[in-house]
Amino acid sequence: MNIQQRMIRFITKSNWYIFCVITLLAFINTPKPFALGILCGGLIVTLNFHALEHTLKRTFKNSSQIVAAGDSILRSVIFKYYIRFILSGVMLFLLISRNIVDPLGLIAGLSVVVASFFAATTLELTRLIIKEAV
Amino acid sequence: MEFFTACVWAAGLAIGIAALGCGLGQGMGLSGAVQGIARNPESSGKVTVTLLIGLAMIESLCIYALVVALILIYAHPQAAEFAKMAIGH
Repeated sequence: MNIQQRMIRFITKSNWYIFCVITLLAFINTPKPFALGILCGGLIVTLNFHALEHTLKRTFKNSSQIVAAGDSILRSVIFKYYIRFILSGVMLFLLISRNIVDPLGLIAGLSVVVASFFAATTLELTRLIIKEAV
Repeated sequence: MEFFTACVWAAGLAIGIAALGCGLGQGMGLSGAVQGIARNPESSGKVTVTLLIGLAMIESLCIYALVVALILIYAHPQAAEFAKMAIGH
């Protein structure tokens, strides 16, 4: 397994782990709107990431088609991105405008995917440094 | 009143600039990936994974900007104080 595949497997799993741990801790330690913000933000961004993964894997599965239809592939991926972005935007709008969640909790929840990227990069870097040292 | 007008302006500019930058970044990244796979179809797997991570990072920036813009309009921490001041005058 190469470094990219290892990273993506780690990120896909750690997304859910980080999301569950942070949400649990938030519901135990923080006020309800803040914990709800983390729950909603984490759910939105994790589902978004999985939808993006699904789109890209389906689009680039048949690499021979890319040569023939490069431009239409670009348009379809960007179109799906805008649909996802509008859906997330509407959800965030409803959550913030109706004061259902604490905005700071929402920002913390939205950082779940970034946190798992950071963790994956740190892990790979550590592995690389240890490998070179040995 | 000027405070709320400024908030709406700031929110509009924030999401506008963020969407423009993220759209350009994603378009450039995707275009590079498609060209790379077209030239070397065997690299498809590696390129897709790297692209996925890059696109997710860019997308999260745009979502942050959207949240900040929505906070500026609907949940500004000092909105109540400024509203009181506006009513007092």
